[in-house]
Amino acid sequence: MKKIRQCFGIVLWLIIVSLGCNPVQSVDRNNFKTCEQSSFCRRSRRVKPGQSPYQLHLNTLSVGSSSISAELVNYNNLAKFKFELSAIKEETFRMKISELSPIRPRYEVESALVSEPELDTLKIIEQTADHVTVQAGANEAKVFAAPFRVDLYSHGQLVISSNARGLLKFEHYRKKPEPKAEEGAGAAEEAEAAGEEDIEADPGAWEENFKSHHDTKPYGPAAVALDFSFVGAHHAYGIPEHADSFALKSTKNTDPYRLYNLDVFEYELWNPMALYGSVPFLIAHGPARTVGVLWLNAAETWVDILSSGDQTVVSSIVNFVSGSDPTPQVDAHFISETGIIDVFFNLGPRPLDVFRQYTKLTGTAPLPQYFAIAYHQSRWNYNDQDDVRMVESKFDEHDLPLDVMWLDIEHTDNKKYFTWDHLRFSQPTEMTQNLTAHGRKLVVIVDPHIKRDGSYFLHNDAESNGYYVKNKEGRDFEGWCWPGSSSYLDFLNPAVQDYYAQRYSLDNFKGSTEDTYIWNDMNEPSVFSGPEVTMHKDCVHHGGWEHREIHNIYALLNTKVTFNGLFRRSEGKLRPFILTRGHFAGSQRYAAVWTGDNAADWAHLRITVPMCLSLSVSGISFCGADVGGFFRSPDEELITRWYQAAAFQPFFRSHAHIDTKRREPWLFGEETLGVIREALRKRYSLLPLWYTLFREHELTGAPVMQPLWAQFPTETDTFAIDDEYLLGDRLLVHPVTEAEASSVTVYFPGPGQIWYDMDSYEAIHVSSKHSGGRTEQIPVNIRKVPVFQRGGTIVPKKERIRRAASLSLDDPFTLLVALDVNGTASGTVYIDDGRSYEYKQGKYLYLDLKFEGKTLTSRFIDKNSKFPTKAWLERVVIIGWPSAVSKARIESKGMGTNVLEASYNSAAHLLVVRKPAVSMAEEWTLSLL
Amino acid sequence: MLVIGRIGSFERMFYNAHLVFSSLVVLLQVSHASEILRPRGVSISKASFYVPERDFTCMDGSATVPFIYVNDDYCDCEDGSDEPGTPACPNGTFHCTNAGHKPLNIPSSRVNDGICDCCDTSDEYASQASCVNNCNELGRAARAEAQKLAELTKQGSELRIQLSKKGKQIRQEKQEKLNQLEKDLGEAERLKKEKEGLKIAAEDLEGSALKQYQQEEEERKQAQNEEEKRENEQEAFEYFHKLDSNQDGKLQLSELQVRQTFDSNRDGEVSDDEAKFLLNQQEEMSWEDFVISGWPRMKPLLMLDKGLFQGPDSTHTAKQEGDNNQEKEHISEGKEEELDHSEDDEDEEEEEEEDDKLYEPHPEEEDPSAYEEDEEEGETANEAKGEVEEAASKYDEETQRLINEANQARSEFEEADRNVRDIQREIQQIKDTLLKDYGSEEEFAPLDGECFEFTDNEYIYKLCPFDQATQRSKSGGADTRLGSWSGWIGADDDKYRTMLFDGGQSCWNGPQRSTKVKLLCGTEHALKSVSEPNRCEYFFEFVTPAVCLQLDSGDKQDNIKDEL
Repeated sequence: MKKIRQCFGIVLWLIIVSLGCNPVQSVDRNNFKTCEQSSFCRRSRRVKPGQSPYQLHLNTLSVGSSSISAELVNYNNLAKFKFELSAIKEETFRMKISELSPIRPRYEVESALVSEPELDTLKIIEQTADHVTVQAGANEAKVFAAPFRVDLYSHGQLVISSNARGLLKFEHYRKKPEPKAEEGAGAAEEAEAAGEEDIEADPGAWEENFKSHHDTKPYGPAAVALDFSFVGAHHAYGIPEHADSFALKSTKNTDPYRLYNLDVFEYELWNPMALYGSVPFLIAHGPARTVGVLWLNAAETWVDILSSGDQTVVSSIVNFVSGSDPTPQVDAHFISETGIIDVFFNLGPRPLDVFRQYTKLTGTAPLPQYFAIAYHQSRWNYNDQDDVRMVESKFDEHDLPLDVMWLDIEHTDNKKYFTWDHLRFSQPTEMTQNLTAHGRKLVVIVDPHIKRDGSYFLHNDAESNGYYVKNKEGRDFEGWCWPGSSSYLDFLNPAVQDYYAQRYSLDNFKGSTEDTYIWNDMNEPSVFSGPEVTMHKDCVHHGGWEHREIHNIYALLNTKVTFNGLFRRSEGKLRPFILTRGHFAGSQRYAAVWTGDNAADWAHLRITVPMCLSLSVSGISFCGADVGGFFRSPDEELITRWYQAAAFQPFFRSHAHIDTKRREPWLFGEETLGVIREALRKRYSLLPLWYTLFREHELTGAPVMQPLWAQFPTETDTFAIDDEYLLGDRLLVHPVTEAEASSVTVYFPGPGQIWYDMDSYEAIHVSSKHSGGRTEQIPVNIRKVPVFQRGGTIVPKKERIRRAASLSLDDPFTLLVALDVNGTASGTVYIDDGRSYEYKQGKYLYLDLKFEGKTLTSRFIDKNSKFPTKAWLERVVIIGWPSAVSKARIESKGMGTNVLEASYNSAAHLLVVRKPAVSMAEEWTLSLL
Repeated sequence: MLVIGRIGSFERMFYNAHLVFSSLVVLLQVSHASEILRPRGVSISKASFYVPERDFTCMDGSATVPFIYVNDDYCDCEDGSDEPGTPACPNGTFHCTNAGHKPLNIPSSRVNDGICDCCDTSDEYASQASCVNNCNELGRAARAEAQKLAELTKQGSELRIQLSKKGKQIRQEKQEKLNQLEKDLGEAERLKKEKEGLKIAAEDLEGSALKQYQQEEEERKQAQNEEEKRENEQEAFEYFHKLDSNQDGKLQLSELQVRQTFDSNRDGEVSDDEAKFLLNQQEEMSWEDFVISGWPRMKPLLMLDKGLFQGPDSTHTAKQEGDNNQEKEHISEGKEEELDHSEDDEDEEEEEEEDDKLYEPHPEEEDPSAYEEDEEEGETANEAKGEVEEAASKYDEETQRLINEANQARSEFEEADRNVRDIQREIQQIKDTLLKDYGSEEEFAPLDGECFEFTDNEYIYKLCPFDQATQRSKSGGADTRLGSWSGWIGADDDKYRTMLFDGGQSCWNGPQRSTKVKLLCGTEHALKSVSEPNRCEYFFEFVTPAVCLQLDSGDKQDNIKDEL
């Protein structure tokens, strides 16, 4: 029916971005720049190491209680800069380098940091003509004057050296030179001879073309770049978003990793090309130390990585200093098109310290509502309100739990967001109420491009109030997107932020309810007609900032404003839920992120783990991928494995392209339906664990989904693993991502650890005699999801699977107590109302569970918090228990003492204590008799 | 009576038990409809498994637990049978009596989940949901609906019987027609054979007459040529002597220059050049040379002089010669055609026929330039035909008679042959129709040849059962074929509930369109809804009495969207 229109749209888009007609082809690389095609990148990448012209004038040193500053000079052109180093709470240094007196202000990133970082005290402990050393807590920074270099020490160990390779580059703003034909060549030669930038020789310095697009570059060259050497690091991680391995690869023979938010059609796997999001945060990890670097810059950025394998090119700092055995080292070279150098060094020393330090700066993800961590059903597009009703009812009919139905762009009136298609979605409120009557929610899409349509209130408001991003001529920028000719709201403008947030109010967004949540897509921003499918860099935002200066935070601002809108909608009572595609450092404070338009193939299933691990260690824990793959149609086995894998990933949503066949679980065979139901039930049964992990992430910054080295940092074998991961410190997950697999090879980390198979309770002991873990072939059939509980942990779950997670809040808990070699275990459970902000006022329960000897206790971690839950303790399962016990005793203040039955399975070493029935809102002690 | 007695005793037994174990009362509900006491969530048929004074054995035999564990909100049985009334077991079932309406089994997970599933509210006995017992209303509505459905089904099934009758009648008529046609075919083939014999005989005669005629004609032509040559020479000889004034046996320039006839350029005198040209650039010319080169140059001038030619335009002459040639060619072509005909190649005829068939349905596909060419050819052919007749009229009477007779025989044979093929075609059509599956009782047969439309916001959809499904934009434009009749694809026991039309027009970047048609009982034929659950996969709902069966429980109606 509407497909003709749809096809037209796609055809148009294809024509505009000059793509092939066949969507099964992968990305057209010609649509995206290489470093060589980007003038600032090629200039910066050509800087020769070891010849840094930058010197710090220590005679200008000024010392404050938390910072020092001094003048930095480029001796090739005598350009002057301000260098500032400050100490920040949580083992962090911040280094800022900017122009001393620029002819135009340099852009400094807003909204990425949760707030102005809290300063720590710093003191000078050494000062010579050559360098100055400052100390903050257990950390020191040694600042060398000539050539300029900053070495950072953690607990006495050199961990990061900045500008060790001398790749610092700061192109100061300058007047555009008058073209002088006869002097041109001579000037360039001169510049090169002096080691000065080859700006004058670069035809792209003052204007640049890519394909049919012209960039006027009115402010000329303004690149900033700096190198960091991570001493003792085996690998670097982070700087998402790339469809590549978790451990970053050397880019010696490839393009650098690129950070530039782009809508990449049919992205290719295993390469450093830019994707939808950019988090310029890199973690360097070695057995002794873990550190992080946040390169706070919102412009297009490229990152070169050199690892120990490339030592022939770059000699190790430490080896140079000490001449001892080769120490592993990773070097990173950050290159940005404009902005300033603003770097945060998180000095660890352990992975969890770095996660805490980084999220102290950019924030953690706020605790999501309970429904948000359950299962989401989406498709581009459910055709109409009856279709939505029908699909939802099928979930009930087939006894499949479901919490959220999603509507893509076709629900709108001609792609005018905040409106509904008059015919297909004529009764949105009724449709939503039908969902909420079953404890479910609705998510609708709201994209930042606005249809230029004189009958559209949003366009009229935006046009008359000047709310749109301007083009270089100062007129409203127009580009093509889903609705055709579109303009883009300028979220830098405070008036726009306020206006847009107001659009989400129930009065303004007719047909929405408090149970309507939001999906912000296409917010890179995607501009079908623009260079690299995004906005022209010489477009102008509020405050006169060029788009090139803020590009990577456009999505961040979009979601920030949406978050405020949803927050205000419920007058601050309900926690917003937003899904975003574009993202930046700090996006975790507002939205969940999914990995965009993937495809239905096994490699895309495999890459969900490294992609979400990269996001997770970069602060964005709430990560997921389209279950089944967006493009193309998965076969029965692939979709089964995808459900199983995604059931153990933070954001769990099925989504599909409009051209694909429907793929709801009942459309496959009976067996597949059963296996998918089982996977959904596994997810729902473990929601109490997920919820607790999300709360703990909010508190500590610890990712929900963690690499093995986060918990086993010294175990080098774990460093390159990205086909398995941990949930908190409790579960080890190794999804099956190969077709027709009969077994998977699982690495069990931790000498002396016991890992228990979640299905069979079989124990896998890792020998304590060796330093590493143990590798096992785990047989799998189509039902098997290889998940293992770590001995010594307690996992809370609910074995009653309701049709929606929000209906299970009062249901009783089961505790899985998995014993370690000492017969002990501990864990936590977090409980609240699952939806409101009342937990911020102490209305929650945070339980510390401990098992030792024969006693399991539950104690409040925060004695002042209270939550009157109806949930009670249904069952305690002690895994790895050695001998038969038939009775237990439960004691609490409210209930007194009761004797309980226990049953023992000697083959599985499993003890089940029957129905303690104590309220979870009480402290209690359970003793085996 | 026995059953009632047993239930009565259960009730008394339970009453006694109630006095002793007062805590058990929470486990039991009183179902007012039947006044039978049984644990919550248990159907009457399963009530006997739950005996309060005995330990409870799970229905799958997996465990035996004290009766107090029944419905104690903790799952002891793997099959969930110890918790019929609580949500404790993951795979349990809760039975709502729903007095006043239909009983219902729901998954245990829907007990006390805050959502009212049972109209008697029995599933939400300990939740915050404020459920209202609306079984009576629902029951009434359901009964009314069921009655309506039953009525509809009844009416529909009567119509179905008529459809079936009509369908069978159609089949019978077709069968009869087939039988008749098969008889006709025999007669037609006999006639064809007879005409073929006559045609062969006539053509034999025609052939030999034509051969004879041709031979004679050739001889006649040869004689005529010789005569003409002789006459020409005679004329030349006479003229030579007329020109040869001095009678020296040779023509000189001067002898020609006195004759105004040879003033080719009409300037009043016969120049040397003009005369020389006629003498083939020689001063004089002998009789022998005159016959070869002089006479042919002079004759036209002489004829012109005599007024036999309209003008001195030599091209006109050439053209006429050309026309003559063409005429000859046409005559010979005509003969060849006739000869081919007389050989009577049946295969070739059939080929032509087939070609016609191929072209007929796609006239618009023909290349217009090719069409023009055809037209030209046609004209030429007509001209030729006329000339053949003209030529034919030159035949002698006897030959012409034989040709006419042969033509008559041929056309009679052609007619007989066409008749045979018409009958064969009709037979094939009927056979094809008879092979179509019109349902177990021919109830769908009357739908073949009918079409039904449905209009939504943008499109007009047309369903022609056993033929095709199409879509046309309301704003006009061509039909898009959503599939051609493929067959019945309903479930094994319900084959005639779903039609499939496939192999439709391909979607941009997608599959060929296809359409599934779900058939629903109704008292008239109507296309009720159209949707597109998957791109280019359409789903129609078509109401027809042809699927109204009295035994219909109505369940099938509920599952109409199963395949979405």
